[in-house]
Amino acid sequence: MNITEILFWFLTALAILSALMVVFSRNPVHSVLWLILVFFAISGHYIMLNAQFLAIVNLIVYAGAIMVLFLFVIMLMNMNSDSEPQKNKWLKMAGTVAGGSLLLILVAALKNSEVQYQKVEGAQGTIGLIHNLGKTLFTDYVVPFEISSVLFLSAMVGAVVIGKKD
Amino acid sequence: MNVIILSAILGVIMMYTGVMSKNKSTARYVATAGILALIGANWLEFAGVNFFNIDTRGMLEFTSFGLVFNLIILVCTLVYFLLSGKDLEEVGANAADYFALIFFILTGIAIVSAFKTMLMLFIGIEIISIPLYILAGSDKKNLRSNEAALKYFLMGSFSTGLMLMGIALLYGATGTFYTDGMYLGLGNITVMKMAGLVLLMISLGFKVSAVPFHFWTPDVYDGSPTVFTSFMATIVKAAFFIAFLLLFENAFGRMHSEWQFAMALITAATLIIGNITAVFQQSVKRMLAYSSIAQAGFMLLAIFALNNIGKQGLILYTAAYSLPTIGIFAVLMRMKDYTYEGFNGFAKHQPLLAALLAVFLFSLAGIPLTGGFFAKYYMLVAAMKNGAMFWLVIIGVCCAAISVYYYFRIIQAMYFREGADPGIQVSEGFKTVLVLTAVLVIILGVHPDWLLHLLDN
Repeated sequence: MNITEILFWFLTALAILSALMVVFSRNPVHSVLWLILVFFAISGHYIMLNAQFLAIVNLIVYAGAIMVLFLFVIMLMNMNSDSEPQKNKWLKMAGTVAGGSLLLILVAALKNSEVQYQKVEGAQGTIGLIHNLGKTLFTDYVVPFEISSVLFLSAMVGAVVIGKKD
Repeated sequence: MNVIILSAILGVIMMYTGVMSKNKSTARYVATAGILALIGANWLEFAGVNFFNIDTRGMLEFTSFGLVFNLIILVCTLVYFLLSGKDLEEVGANAADYFALIFFILTGIAIVSAFKTMLMLFIGIEIISIPLYILAGSDKKNLRSNEAALKYFLMGSFSTGLMLMGIALLYGATGTFYTDGMYLGLGNITVMKMAGLVLLMISLGFKVSAVPFHFWTPDVYDGSPTVFTSFMATIVKAAFFIAFLLLFENAFGRMHSEWQFAMALITAATLIIGNITAVFQQSVKRMLAYSSIAQAGFMLLAIFALNNIGKQGLILYTAAYSLPTIGIFAVLMRMKDYTYEGFNGFAKHQPLLAALLAVFLFSLAGIPLTGGFFAKYYMLVAAMKNGAMFWLVIIGVCCAAISVYYYFRIIQAMYFREGADPGIQVSEGFKTVLVLTAVLVIILGVHPDWLLHLLDN
């Protein structure tokens, strides 16, 4: 095992463990803090794929901006384990069965997975570098890139419509 | 491409109209002019005139099927603006912004009717969905509208998440986003591809409110302001169907036999549950919500059959379902009482409107000489031509018979019951547009070929 592999397994275990803790934590604030750890672990993976730009953006956008929003919302709603609504026992059971089935299928899917290994670029890959990313974005993917501006514009208009005083 | 770019620009223009003009009605006139321009642009593209020559790298492909679909959607939107534009202004202080959001939705619809990659599918579906969440909650003071928006938002984002997961699995299995380039079904079909397919089926099932993913529909349609329910239940629903059909035809068409049975089960459940629940509704608005689920069951037959007749049928269905529903909602919006009793004695006080409503309801029930008949006919023939599961056709016919009951309850209330004057005021222009819509519905029922001929172009 070389250092890359050790790092990979460490980050993977960290990501999965913290993701589980997000779900199992009773306190929503703890959930959010664990979620930040998930994002850090995933950013670590990006760096190992030589995608520094993605790693940084992931940290800035998710661990930075979105997490702060999450924390604000949780604090404003003043949620804690006491005020958590009691869920129906059957509902919980149905959720467990449904989620378990999905897990089973996905594990089965990934066990015999036919992932196109040649598409996976390791540390030598250069597609994650900002130079190549920008080039791809503005040549191959320029149409979806430009059209997504309509999406953001409509989300912005919507936010203003909802937020404006009548 | 004409429609995608122009309607995005029109959305921006509408935003400025709201700022520039203090007069509420200006937005409506500009929007109506805009939709006429869009129809013209779409027609020109159909005739081969492109305003913009953009290399989309095969991500969008403008077929005659997609363009005819767009044409129907735009005409329905025009009718919607003419009939319900005034009511739309009264929902809140932001009429111009609502029009802007509707134009953005039209951009999304033009995208999903032409997509060739999963990337465009995702962007298109999101452009349609996000403005809808806002429109559903636009009646901010009304608690039920808030509930509808929140419910729609949560359910919608959840199903979008499932869709992304499905796209990710398919990308992992095939290494491409292009629906044609995936070559699913040519090699061996692995669990990963199947899991991706199932997740996409579930998420699009959510969007078109197929049973068992329909639970959000009645609450959202009932809670939203009626003007926007009218838009959501007709134009947007048809748009999700075109995305559903194109995805399953282009990407999964070669593995049709693998998923056909699952689709048949979803279709049967949608038909049965949608129709039977609609029977027990007391509110006409809620009944129309369930009727939209029931009609979705018929539209699902096109995806189940996946043949040319089914595609023609979907085009016809879009027109024959959307136009009457928009008409019924336009009248319903003016009623104070949304129950069946509210329609008692309607024919005596508003003979013209009652007759037109009857035509619309005939079309929804699929009575001959209205568009709905041929729409249902094409769907059933498509399923029969497919030949795999005949029981589905029988269920379809039975459910069409059940639907007659709840549609005719309104007609019965209008013509055979006594009641007080509902006291609704309609302008001459409204009546004219409604008459023209009814004429269109009848033309579709007498001679559907003029629409379908466009497809051969």
